[in-house]
Parts: sequence; structure tokens; C-alpha cells
Amino acid sequence: MNADRLPDLNHLSDELFVPVERKEEQLETIERPSLNNWQDAWIRLKGNKGAVVGLILIILISVMAIIGPSLSGHTYKEQNVAHAKLPPKIPVLEKISWLPFNGKDQDGFDMYKAKNVKEYYWFGTDELGRDLWTRTWYGTRISIYIGILAAAIDLLIGVLYGGISGFYGGKVDDIMQRISEVLMGIPQLIIVILFILVIQPGIMSITLAMVITGWVNMARIVRGQILKLKNQEFVLASRTLGASNARLIVKHLIPNIVGQIVITTMFTVPNAIFTEAFLSFIGLGIRPPEASLGSLVNDGFKSLQTNPYMLIIPSVIISLLILSFNLLADGLRDALDPKMRK
Amino acid sequence: MLRYIIRRIVYMLVTMFVIATVTFFLMKLLPGSPLHNQEKLSPDQQKIILEKYGLNDPLPVQYVRYMGNLVKGDLGVSFQYNNRPVSTMIAERIGPSAVLGFQAVVFGTIVGILLGIIAALKYNTIVDYGATTIAVLGISIPSFVFAGFLQYFLAVKFPIFPVADWGGFKYTVLPSLALSVPVIATVARFMRTELLEILSSDYIMLARAKGVGKRDIILKHALRNALIPIITLLGPMIVNIITGSLVIENIFGIPGLGDQFVRSIMTNDFGMIMGTTLFYSALFIFMVFVVDILYGVIDPRIRLTGGKKS
Repeated sequence: MNADRLPDLNHLSDELFVPVERKEEQLETIERPSLNNWQDAWIRLKGNKGAVVGLILIILISVMAIIGPSLSGHTYKEQNVAHAKLPPKIPVLEKISWLPFNGKDQDGFDMYKAKNVKEYYWFGTDELGRDLWTRTWYGTRISIYIGILAAAIDLLIGVLYGGISGFYGGKVDDIMQRISEVLMGIPQLIIVILFILVIQPGIMSITLAMVITGWVNMARIVRGQILKLKNQEFVLASRTLGASNARLIVKHLIPNIVGQIVITTMFTVPNAIFTEAFLSFIGLGIRPPEASLGSLVNDGFKSLQTNPYMLIIPSVIISLLILSFNLLADGLRDALDPKMRK
Repeated sequence: MLRYIIRRIVYMLVTMFVIATVTFFLMKLLPGSPLHNQEKLSPDQQKIILEKYGLNDPLPVQYVRYMGNLVKGDLGVSFQYNNRPVSTMIAERIGPSAVLGFQAVVFGTIVGILLGIIAALKYNTIVDYGATTIAVLGISIPSFVFAGFLQYFLAVKFPIFPVADWGGFKYTVLPSLALSVPVIATVARFMRTELLEILSSDYIMLARAKGVGKRDIILKHALRNALIPIITLLGPMIVNIITGSLVIENIFGIPGLGDQFVRSIMTNDFGMIMGTTLFYSALFIFMVFVVDILYGVIDPRIRLTGGKKS
């Protein structure tokens, strides 16, 4: 910046100024398109690299979970003992020697040649000769299904319970709060393990076991938000105009806390996926021949030293899945609630 | 304060009572009898055994006796290990678990705090992104996956540490490391957020305005306040460690309580499951209680006004 070239700011002559043309009707025009909260949040979300990566990964993994099992021509429970413990082999990629997809085991021994197998098993096979590609994606499907189901039930119970408790207040709130405080004190893991022991493990029973104490978190958040909102002026205004309680809740309170609900739900999904994997790991999860990512990782441990691919592939996928949900949830929190942004 | 503590103790007792009751009735609902492994016994022998343990009494009688024993600290007997008392078995097994848990908490907290501080001080730089990425990864990768990779690379491929077993410090390194991952991640994330908030608060601005050096601002004003809330993470940390210990002790073959618990689940040792469950719950509930009280004592800004409802 060169100070000499600037006009002397203390002695500006009038001819330097030109009046802006203004018409009455133009004063009120809004130059930029108006955005509602969700469009605004979407713009912020798009700017968050982590969240975008998370979203893309979730879509990719979900698509593979849907179409993956039918791509290889094997079913998840079809056994072929003659083809047991084959390392991964993928056409084209097998030519790249440093990738572990050439059908050779740890010592560089070509198992496909040794067993005279013409087929390609993209992710290899397990000790019973089941195709791991199919089982991995089938397991992913089960894991995602359990995660979303658990989150959805948590959402339903939590919003209802928290909403009623917060909105009606007084005695109702007191009693409902005492109940949820006791439930909060119980470690979730313990309750889940006890319930699975009593009701046999299956997709539904695992989901239900997680829901027993899982909804309390959602209820607490919803209640807190409702308590904050219900005494604000816009609610009073609406009530004065004769709005019923149902209308107040549905039209005014719920829309204001949808952001919080979405964020909490997004954090519940990876948690549920993790808990399911954990249960599978201690032998309380999905029973074979069904598979989940957790049970595949558990199976993989048994042959860690000889066939590490059985452990590595499902481990990577479950980690990516939980990671992408966490990234997206973080991004959503920043996008929907700019106040909490750090 | 006293009223608050009393209120909390009442809650603790109610929660423990609910857990004990639920556990008792769930165990009664379980399919099969405790004599599962002793099918060779004649009906008469079975009757004698059931009689001996009072399993033929009506349910309410059993329930009252069970609760009475609990109050006395008697957690029942294991059905698989020659009727040894559960409390003795827990006492024998808790050692290795406690060592691993302690190492993981200490190591995890220190690394987590450092990572969080670095991330907050280098806010929005590549260092911050790196630290944040490590934290997100630490939360996302299940600890048993991490344990598997540690075992594969540091014990199988490059045998620096023993694959499994127990006996001396070097056996504790890998399992403690695996256990500490979620701790590092949680503490680092928390620390970063906390420190960022404090650094943008008014009293830091005042300190800067009156000319306090950057080092002093961070060490004397910001860090002290940021460290206090870390205590609140102790509750979730205990859960993390207990959850982790169930699988990690199994993977690394450590003779701890977590390994024992998983074994009892697999062998349907209901007595042991029930006892360990109650033990874990009590530990968790007690830790949360201690944390809440400590927090109020250390940080005078937090007023425990739970009992003061006008």
C-alpha cells in the first residue's frame, strides 16, 4: 500500500461521491435465496471434509452390503471343504505382486495351484470353505441392520419418554426422572449380557437387549431440550392462541429439537454396531452359519498366525464403518448446532 | 453438600437393589438347571444336591435368602469350580485386571491430555488435524481389532513382545496399550474442546491484556481449569476398561477377571456370572459416585445443589 496515492481522507471533495440509485420497490428485495435450517446445515456439512468422506464411505459400504453377497455366485452358508482356507485372489489385482490378492499364502505358496482350484475367491475362504467375500458383505448387512434398528427403537422410546417427561413436568416428570436415573446407573454392558443369556442370541434379541437401557440417553437429551423450550415466548404465544398440547409438541417443540435428535441417533448407530461386534466376540452374538462383522473378526482370531486375511478384512471393514458413522455424526453436530462448534 | 451425598447414596443403594433383583430373576428364568454337567446323577442324588443349596424352596424364600447373603458380602458359589465362593474367585482374579486397567488409565490419560493440548494449541493446523484424526480413529476402531493388529505385528511378525500369557511387565505392555486406546481418544477429544473453550474466554483475554506471557497463560490459567473436568471421564473410562478387559484378556490369555467372566458365560456358570455382574455394577456405580463428589470438592464453581429445591 502506498499512502501517497490515496486521496487525503480529511479533505474529500463532494464530486468524489455519487449517490446510489434507489427505487422504493427495490429496497425490500432479498438478494440471496432464502435458506431454511436444513439447507443451511447441508451447506455447512458439505464444507466439512470428514463428514463428506464419512457419508461417501457409508454409502459405498451400504451399497456393497446390499449387492455384495450376490456378486460372487456363492451363498453365505455354502460350504466346500475342498476349498477351505484359500487366501484372497482377485482377477487383475493378482498381477500386482505387493498386493495380498494373488492367492498366495504367507510363505508365497500358491494355494490355488496346490488345491487345483480354478475359481477366484475375492476375499478367500474360511476353514469350512465358505466364501469370505459373501460372508463379509452379508455380515456387514447384519451389522448395519442391527445398528439402525437399535437406533430407531431408541429414538422412538427416547423421544416419547423424554417429551412427555419434559413437557408435562411436575409429578409425572419426577417419577419418570427417578426411573431413568436408576436405569442410567446400570452399566449397559451388564444388562445386555444378562438378557442375551436368557433370550437366545439373534438379531432381534441383541437389538432389544441394547435398547433396554439405550433409550435413556435420548430421553435425557429430549427432556432437557423440551424443558428449555417450553417456557419460551413463542410457545406461550401459540398457547395463548389456543393451541392444544398435541399441536404444541408436534408443531413447535419437536421441530426445534430435531437437530439434537438426529445427532444423538447418529452417535447411537456406531455404538450399536460396536456392541453387537463385542457380543459376537465373547460368544453371545449371531450364531453361525449367520454372520456379522463381529463374528467374522472373532473367527479370524482363531487363525491369526496362519491366515491373517481372515482377521484383517472384516476388521478393516468394521473399523471403517464405525469410523464413517462417527465422522458423519461429528460433522452433523457441527452443521446443525453451530453453537457447539469448536 | 451432606444432603446431596445422602441422596446419592440412597440412589446408589436403589440402583444396586434393582440390579441384584433383575439378576436374580433373570438367572431363575434361564433354561436348564445348575446341575447341567452332572446328568449321571440319579434323581435322588439330584434332589439331595438341590436340597443342599436350597434350590427346592419357593422363589420368594430363595430371593430373600439371596438378598440377605448379598448384604453380608456373600456372592454365592461357582457351579463349575467345585462350589468355590465367587468372592474368593473374584479376589484371586482381580489382580492382573487391576494392573492392566491401572496402566491403561494412567498411560491413556497422560497421552490423551498431551494430544489434546497439542491439538488445541495448534488449532486448525495440520498438527491439530493429525491429533483429531488419531482421536476419531481411537474411538472408532474396536479395541479387539486393535489388539489383534498389535498382536499380529508386534508379537507374531516382529516378536518384540510375547504373544500371550502372564508374568512380568513385558506381558502387560500390549494388552495395556490395547486397553488404553479408547481412553486416549476420549481424553484427547475432551481436552481439546475444553481447552479451546477456555482459551477463548474472557479471563484469558484479561490475562493477555495485562501482559501475561503465552507460556504462563497456558500453564497457570488455562491448563489448570481444563484439567479438572477430566475427572468426569473416569466413569465412562471404567466402563471402557471393563468392556475392553473382557475381550483383551481373552486375546492375550491373561488370567484376569474379564477372561474368567467370558469363560463363565461360555460354560453357563450362572453363579459366577451373577457374582461378577454384581461386582462390576457395584464398581461402576461406586466410581461414578466418587467422581461426582470429588468434582464438587475440587471445583468450587460446581455447586452440588441436587437436594436444594426451594
